[in-house]
Formats: sequence, C-alpha cells, structure tokens
Amino acid sequence: MLELHGIRKTFNAGTVNEVRALQGIDLSIEKGSFVVVLGTNGSGKSTLLNAVAGSFFVDEGTISLSGQNITNWKEHQRAKLIGRVFQSPFSGTAPHMSIAENFALAARRGKHRGLSWALSPKLMHGLRDRVATLRMGLENRLDNAMGSLSGGQRQALTLLMATWLEPQLLLLDEHTAALDPKSADQVIRLTEEVVSRDQLTTLMVTHSMQQAVNLGDRLIMMHRGQILHDLRGADKARLRVEDLLSRFEEIRRREQLDESAALMLSERYV
Amino acid sequence: MTLLIGALTVGLILSLLALGVYITFRIFNFPDITTEGSITLGASIAAVMLVNFHTSPAVATIAGMLGGMVAGAVTGVLHTKFRINGLLAGILVMTALYSVNLRIMGRSNVPLMDVKTLFSHNWFGTDTINVFGWDASAHDVTALLFSLGMALAVVGVLYLFFRTNLGTVMRATGDNDQMVKAQGSDVEWNTILGVSLANGLIALSGALLAQYQGFSDAQMGLGMVVWGLASVIIGEALTGSRSLGLALLGTVMGSILFRELVAIALRWGLNPNDLKLMTAIFVLSALVLPQIVRSLSRKGGRHA
Ligand SMILES: Nc1ncnc2c1ncn2[C@@H]1O[C@H](COP(=O)(O)OP(=O)(O)O)[C@@H](O)[C@H]1O
Ligand SMILES: [Mg+2]
Repeated sequence: MLELHGIRKTFNAGTVNEVRALQGIDLSIEKGSFVVVLGTNGSGKSTLLNAVAGSFFVDEGTISLSGQNITNWKEHQRAKLIGRVFQSPFSGTAPHMSIAENFALAARRGKHRGLSWALSPKLMHGLRDRVATLRMGLENRLDNAMGSLSGGQRQALTLLMATWLEPQLLLLDEHTAALDPKSADQVIRLTEEVVSRDQLTTLMVTHSMQQAVNLGDRLIMMHRGQILHDLRGADKARLRVEDLLSRFEEIRRREQLDESAALMLSERYV
Repeated sequence: MTLLIGALTVGLILSLLALGVYITFRIFNFPDITTEGSITLGASIAAVMLVNFHTSPAVATIAGMLGGMVAGAVTGVLHTKFRINGLLAGILVMTALYSVNLRIMGRSNVPLMDVKTLFSHNWFGTDTINVFGWDASAHDVTALLFSLGMALAVVGVLYLFFRTNLGTVMRATGDNDQMVKAQGSDVEWNTILGVSLANGLIALSGALLAQYQGFSDAQMGLGMVVWGLASVIIGEALTGSRSLGLALLGTVMGSILFRELVAIALRWGLNPNDLKLMTAIFVLSALVLPQIVRSLSRKGGRHA
C-alpha cells in the first residue's frame, strides 16, 4: 500500500543548522492498517508524514502509494490520494470561508474544479447529516466562518473534510496535541469511528502514550530520524503504557551513555 | 450637474480597477503593482486598435482587457514559478510595461478624435434631458448609465464566479494556501489565474477610461494602485462586512464616493498637483489609524 525505501532528508545541508531529519527510513504499510507513530521531540515524525504528503521532495529513496511511484509528485498531486489533518487547527481550514465552503473544497479534493456551483444542493444535503454526526450542533451553523469555531470543532471538521472523499491514505500529525483534554477525546473517538468505518489506511503521529496503546494495530517508535521499534499484531495488542515508558527510558539511558562516552573521550583526547 | 455626472462616470469606470485591486490585495493577499502598467496597457491597446486599425469599440476594449490578463499572468508566473517577491514581480512588469505601452502607442499620447467609441452613443435621441429638475447632456447621461451597467455586470459575474468550485478554491488560496494544497489544488496556478483576472479587469477599466476621456496617455497609470486601495478601504468602511457580495458592491461604491470626494476637493481649490499626496495620506491613515485606536484603547483598558 504505502512503501518507503531508503528515505533520507537533511534540512539546511552543509550549514551549521544542518539537521538530518530522516536517516534511512524503510517502511511498508498494508492496506487498511492503522499505524501509530511515537517518538521523542524532533525525532522526525512530522518530517516523515510531510515526506509522504509531498511538502518537500526527499533527498534519497522512493515513495510509492497504491502501486504508483509518487516520489516526484507534487504535494497537490499527492493530495488526490491522501487526506491530512495537521497539528494546528489553523492549518487545515480556510478561516474566512464558511463551514459549507470549506467542505465544498474538500468534496473536490484532487478533482477538476470548474465553473459549477460550489455549494450545490447535493453537497449541502449530505453535509448537514454528516456534520450532525459530530453532535456539536454545527449542522445549524454551516454558514458561519470557520475561523469563528473552537480548535476542537475545527479539528473535527478537518478530519471529516479529509475523509469526505475516501483517501487511500490518511495522515494525522498530532492532530489532538493543540486541544484541551475533552476536545482531544472527542476528536480521538471520531478518528476511531471514521478509520474503522471506512477501513482507512492510516498513519497517525501522537505524543500521547495512552493513545498509542489504545489505538491502531501497529506502532512505530522513531528516534533521531530512524525507526527504532516496530510492533504489530499480538505485540502491539499486548502493549501497555509502562512498556512504552520503559522503552523511552532505555532511549534516554542510551543517550546519556553516548553523552558521557563523548564527554570522556573529549576529556581524554581534546 | 455636469461635474457630478462626470465624476460618477469616472468613478464607475475606475471601480473595475478597484475590483481588480480588491482581488489581488484582499482575496489573494498579493500586493500587485502591475496595476499601474496594466491600466495603461488596456488604454493604449484599445486606443491604437480604434485609431490605427479602425476596429469596433467592443473589439478594441476586449483586446485591451486581454492584454492586461497577459501582463497579470506574467507577474503571476514571475512570483510563483521563479519565486520572485510579489512586490518586485509587479514592479518589474510595471516597469517593462511602460516601454511596451510607448511601443504600442508609438508616442506618449494617442488622442481618440473622430473615432467611434463605446461612449459615442446617445440613448435618448435628444441633446439634453431632465434629471431631477436639472438639464443634463443626454450624451453624458448615456455614458453614466453605460458605465453603471458595466460595473454592475462585472460585479455580478465576479460574484457568481467566486461561488463556483474554481472561484471558491481561488478565494481559499488567499486564505490558507497550505489547506488548498492539502485539498489537491495547485496554489501556483490559482495565483497566476487570479492575478491575471485582476489585471484583465484593470486593463478593461483603462480601455474604458481612454474612450471616455478621449485619449490614452503613458502616464495615466501613475498612482492607480493607491487609488484602487482607497476605493477598497472606503468600500469596506461603507459595508463593514466581509461577505463577498457586499464587499464587491462596497468596492464599487467606494470608487464612486472617492471620485466624488476628489471632485469636491478640487472644486474647493485643492491643487491638482497635491492630489496624489492626499490620496496616499488618506490610505496611510486608513491603514494606521485603526492600529493606533486599538493600542490606545488597550492602554486605556489597562489603566482603568
Ligand atoms: N522545514 C524544516 N526546516 C529545517 N528543519 C526542519 C524542518 N522541519 C523539521 N526540521 C527539523 O527536523 C527535525 C525533526 O523535526 P520533526 O519531524 O518536526 O520532529 P517531530 O518528531 O517532533 O515531529 C527537528 O530537528 C526539526 O527542527
Ligand atoms: Mg511534529
């Protein structure tokens, strides 16, 4: 379904700000699987999702999705196959346009946009019912500007928009990180609902170990631009928060060991 | 009365320019300076078509508009494909257009004497007609009604266009380009199309203005961006709304009102040489005053 081979990405190469954000990622995701991505800050989780979505071209490696080599596709071309929800509620919607108009945009994701009426009766008809399923009362506010809604409402709508036309791949990048706990719960429940209903192939980054344990059928742990652990099947199902904590602790200890070794070496030789 | 009708007519003709400025500055957040070259481009193409090639006024006007669309597309391509800063891209095209316009006209001014234009008509069959108790030239009133029809037609077409799927994604491009990419639309192409459309309107305005005032001049674009912005700002103050239809209508009303204000100021003895300075000061204060008021009220709030 999604195949990544030898993906490398370095930002600001050759400068003092050089960051090797992805250092050789190989990943193969089957159709219909729900993969949770966990990792320390700056480990390259967002960069991985951005590489798949085409926010930039990778330095090395190939990306293929649904049997097509999309390595050289531009971002808007890949959007034909990919639905996305960003970390910031501001990123996924047009704030000065109405809820209905935002959905009109999503209803033609990756399709030709011509001179037919954006808010067609057909769209408006289905929209009301779908938005009503959020149980946020937004179905009566379809004319309101997106910018007038709360972050939780916007993320819920963005998720609905991203899946309005069933995507081959759904990318969720810490899409609840900016929300208060109650809204975050709501959006997570909606995520589970949508993903399982449409059997969507999903790649979800999260900072929450609880989410990582509860959701998905596969878990990837990233560190320093590489995939450190890859758990699936029974291993993933058996996973508890404590196991994750101890794995992070292990990373931390190894890091410290590296640092003290470096310190020792530099004390001795420099 | 003649003065009032004349000012109204010019206000309506320039409202097409103001609508173009509204599209680039407000819808696309793109500070497009191409305007100053493309209004003259529209005027000079139309003038030369009429004088040298004896085409029909409608053909000359449409040709002028197409010229503006090409100019806008060039600015759009420079900005998106060649990653040139938007202001600079506009300045480059505007500067180039100055020479292009001189080339088209062959000199700095083309008078439209003894040629039939869109404003040669008289719909009334008499020389004067009575407007609210005043005698007015029927020819002038025809010109006014024709300009009004043009402005309303353009507003109508823009309103409908911006509510189609294509128009909606163009509006979204200025609102959140990241979102537009994620929805699978090409931000660069949308921007090129938008800037092209805006400059087409601006050149249309120039083609009409040349026919109305009876000449095309290489200098006629000078200060037109600020002029358009002033109209947009007045329009926003008048309608106070961000709804699309009201914003478009407001821009037209802003253009008319601004033209009237200018006519009155000139009548009261404002030196025409100071006009552009006054316009610039007006736009500057409209941009800065709200900030000052806001920061003052915030300070006041803290002390209270
Ligand atoms: N566009 C960019 N330009 C420069 N550096 C970047 C860019 N995007 C990410 N980085 C860097 O790459 C590293 C990985 O970032 P990211 O993928 O955002 O981490 P996270 O796992 O927290 O999502 C970080 O050091 C970050 O500073
Ligand atoms: Mg991140």
